[in-house]
Amino acid sequence: MTTAIQTKGLTKDYGAGHGIFDLDLTVNEGEVFGFLGPNGAGKTTTIKLLMGLIHATKGSATILGLDVDRDAVPLKHRIGYVPGELPQFGGWRGSEIVAYIAGLRGDMTDSAVEAVAKRLDLDLGRKYREYSHGNKQKLALLLAFAPMPALLILDEPTSGLDPLHQQEFYGLVRDARARGATIFISSHVLSEVEHVCDRVGIVREGHLATVGQLDQLAGMRAHRIEIVFAGPPPVERIRAIPGLEQVAVEDHRVSGMFRGEFEPLLAALANSRVTKFESRETSLEEIFLGFYK
Amino acid sequence: MTLFRLALRSHRTGLLMTALVVSAGGLLNAVGFAQIAGDTPSARAVFAQQMELLARQLTYLLPAPAQLDTMAGYLTWRWFGSAVLIYAFWALLAGTGAGRGDEERGLIELWLSTGASRMRLLEVRAAGFAAIAAVSIAVMLAVTDVGAAIGQEPLPLGPLALEGLAMWVLTLFVFAFALLVAQLVTTRRGATGIAGIVVLALFMLNAAARSGVDVGAVRWLSPFYLFERSAPLLRGGSLEFPATAALAVGSVLLIAIAIAAFIRRDIGGPLLRGAPRSSRVAWRPSADPLLRTPVLAIVDQQRIWIVAWALGLAVLAAFLTSITKVMVDAFGNSDIPILRAYFERAGINAYADFVGVIWFSTLLLLISLFVVVQVNGWAADDAEGRLETILSAPVSRARVVVERVAAVVVACAVIVATSSLAVYLTATSTGISLPAGRFVFASAAVLPVAYAFSGIGHALVGWRPRVAVAILGALAIVGYFAQQFGPLFQWPDWVTNISLYALYGTPMSKDDWSGIATLIVIGIAGTAVALVVMRRRDVGR
Repeated sequence: MTTAIQTKGLTKDYGAGHGIFDLDLTVNEGEVFGFLGPNGAGKTTTIKLLMGLIHATKGSATILGLDVDRDAVPLKHRIGYVPGELPQFGGWRGSEIVAYIAGLRGDMTDSAVEAVAKRLDLDLGRKYREYSHGNKQKLALLLAFAPMPALLILDEPTSGLDPLHQQEFYGLVRDARARGATIFISSHVLSEVEHVCDRVGIVREGHLATVGQLDQLAGMRAHRIEIVFAGPPPVERIRAIPGLEQVAVEDHRVSGMFRGEFEPLLAALANSRVTKFESRETSLEEIFLGFYK
Repeated sequence: MTLFRLALRSHRTGLLMTALVVSAGGLLNAVGFAQIAGDTPSARAVFAQQMELLARQLTYLLPAPAQLDTMAGYLTWRWFGSAVLIYAFWALLAGTGAGRGDEERGLIELWLSTGASRMRLLEVRAAGFAAIAAVSIAVMLAVTDVGAAIGQEPLPLGPLALEGLAMWVLTLFVFAFALLVAQLVTTRRGATGIAGIVVLALFMLNAAARSGVDVGAVRWLSPFYLFERSAPLLRGGSLEFPATAALAVGSVLLIAIAIAAFIRRDIGGPLLRGAPRSSRVAWRPSADPLLRTPVLAIVDQQRIWIVAWALGLAVLAAFLTSITKVMVDAFGNSDIPILRAYFERAGINAYADFVGVIWFSTLLLLISLFVVVQVNGWAADDAEGRLETILSAPVSRARVVVERVAAVVVACAVIVATSSLAVYLTATSTGISLPAGRFVFASAAVLPVAYAFSGIGHALVGWRPRVAVAILGALAIVGYFAQQFGPLFQWPDWVTNISLYALYGTPMSKDDWSGIATLIVIGIAGTAVALVVMRRRDVGR
C-alpha cells in the first residue's frame, strides 16, 4: 500500500502549548482518514502545515511523495482543499469565483463544475455575500471536488450543511474514493467520521493520542454498566474488580465503565442480590470523550 | 463593555493617526512660520505679500488668504484649511465603517442580538465618533498652539476653540453623510467610493468658487464653503453662527435619516432594492476570459473601482488644467525672490511647465494613494482568507506577489492614461500647447513611482500587514509635503530629496533618467524583499 500523507515529528509551536507537536502520521492512498479532535486541539494547524500555508517549527511532511513546503505548487495540482474558515469574497458572484480559481488551477472543467454545482444545488449566479453559510460551504466543496484531485484535504467540511446536503457530501466522498482518491477529513462530528472514514486519528492538546481502524477503535470500546442491588452494595469488592472504572455509588445503585472480560465482574456479584443489571456498548463519541478526561 | 466604549474603541486607530499626523503638521507650520516670516513689521509685510500672491494661485486647494503677516492668519490659511481635508477623509472612512464595515464583519448582527436597538447602535456610533473627533481636534489645536507659543505668537484660546468647533462640525457632517450613503449600498468599499466622489465634488465646488468661477448660490451646498465662512482667529473675524449651525443641523439630520434608513432596511441589504433577479439558476463558471488570465484577472475584479478612480482623476485633471492660464498670468512677472526661487526650483516657466508641475505633483500623490488602497486590499486578502484560497491552487507565493504588483501597475496605467488624456484635451481647448513627447514621457514616468510604492507596500504587507497601510500612507503624504513646501520654505535639499517623488523630477522640463532608474530599482528591491518575506511567512497570521 503506498503512502498518500506522511509526517515525521511535524511540529508547529505557537508557544503556551498551542500548536501541534511531534506528529507522526501515515495516511495510505485510497483511504478515507478522519482526523478528530475538539476545538483548539491542532487539527487546522496540521492541515495548514500539510497545505504549505504555514511553516513547520520542526519535522517534515510529504504528500504523494512530495515535500509539502518545497513542492507546494506541483502538489496543489493534486489536492482539493476545503478551509476550516471560509474566505470572504464580498460582491463577487459564485460563477466569477469559480472562474478565477479555475484559471489559477487550470484543471477544472466547466462540465465538472456544473455536475458538482447541480449535486449540491448551488446557484453560481448569486453574489457571494448573498450566500448563506451553508451555500458558502457548498462553494468551498465545489472548488475542492470539481478538479477531481488525487487527494482531498477537508477541514470541517460539513459545517453549515443541512442533513440533505450532508448526505450529498457523503456521496461525493464515496465517489471520490471509488475513483481512487485519498481523503483526509478533520472533524469533531463523530457520526460523520463513522459514516465515511476507514481510519481515525485522535488529536489532543496538540499531540496525536491514537490512530486506528474504526473497527479497532470499536474494540477499545468499554461497556457502560449499571447495577441495582436489593441491599447496600458491596462497594469495596466492586471497586476491586479489574477493568471497572469511573465507579459511582448512589444508594443501592452502582454505575461505571467496564473494559475486559465479564467473568471477574460476575464473580464479584455472585453473593449479592442484584435486582437490575444493565450493560450497553459505548459509542464512538464516548471513546472520543474518554481521551479528553 | 458598553456600546459606547465599543464605539470609542473602533475609532482609536483613526484618533491616533489623525492626532499624530495633523498635530505634527500644525506644530511644523507654526514653528516654520516663526522661522521664515521675519521679526520686523516690514519683513512680515514682505512675507505676507509674497505668500498672498502664492496663496491666490492655490485657491483650488487652500482657503483664501488673509492676514498672512500674523501667525493666526498664516495658520488659518496654510494649515487649518489642509487639516480639515484630513479630518474629512477620516470622517468619510469612519462613517462608512460604522455604517457598513461593522456589518460586513458580522458585528452588527452580534450587537443587535444582544438586545441593542438599531437606533441606539447608530446613535452610539455617531456619538463615539463625535467624541473621538473632538479629542483629536483638541489635541491638534493644543499642539499647534504650542508651536505658536514657541514662535512667540501664541494663539488666543477662545478663538482657537471656536476654530476647533468649526472643524469639528464639518468633520461630523462628512461622517454623517458617509453614514447615510452606507445605508444605500451593500459594501463599505462602494459606500466609500460614492461618498468620496460626492465629498470631492463638494470640495471642488467650493474650490472653483474660490478660484473665480461663478457657481452662484450652489456654493452654499458645499460644507467646505460653510466651514470657510468662519475665521475666528483672524482680527475682526468670528465664528459665523448660521453657517456652523447649518452644518450642525445638517449633521444631525443626516444621522437621523441614516438611522431611519438603517431601521427600515435589511441587515446586509441596501435601503432600496432593485427588481428581483431572474430566477434562472447558473451552474457554470463565468465566461469572462479575463478572470482566467494572469494579472488581468486581478484588474478585472476591480474594474469598477479603477474606472471610478480614472474618471475622478480625469475630472480633477480637467479642472486644474482649466485654471492654468489664470494662475500663471496672475504670477506674470513676479520678481519676489521666494516665489522666483519656488518657480525656478519647480521648473515653471510657461503654461506647459505649470501643468507639468501642478498636475503631475497632484497625480503622483493620488496614484500613491491608489497604491496604498491596493496594499490595504492585500492585507485584507490575508486576513479574510482569500490568500489561503488562492494558495490552495497550484500558485506559488512568488506569483502572487508579482501578479499583484503587475496588476497595480496596469491599473495605474489606465488611470494615468485617462487623466492625462483629460489634461491634454483641456489644454488644447484652452489654447495651451503641451509638448506631446514630453507630456507622454511625463505621464509614463508616473508608473515607476507607482511601481516603487507597490514594491515597498508589498514588502511591508509581508512584514506587518496591519501597519503597512499607515507606513505607506505616511510615506506618500510626507513625501508630497516635502516636495511641495521644501522650495517654498527653503528647506534644505535633503528634506525635499527624502521624498520618493523627488526621483520623478520634472520630466516636462528635462529628462532625469537616473531618477526613473532609481525608482525602478526601488520597485525591484521592494518586490525582492516582498518575495522573500512572503516565502517565509505563515498565511493568515
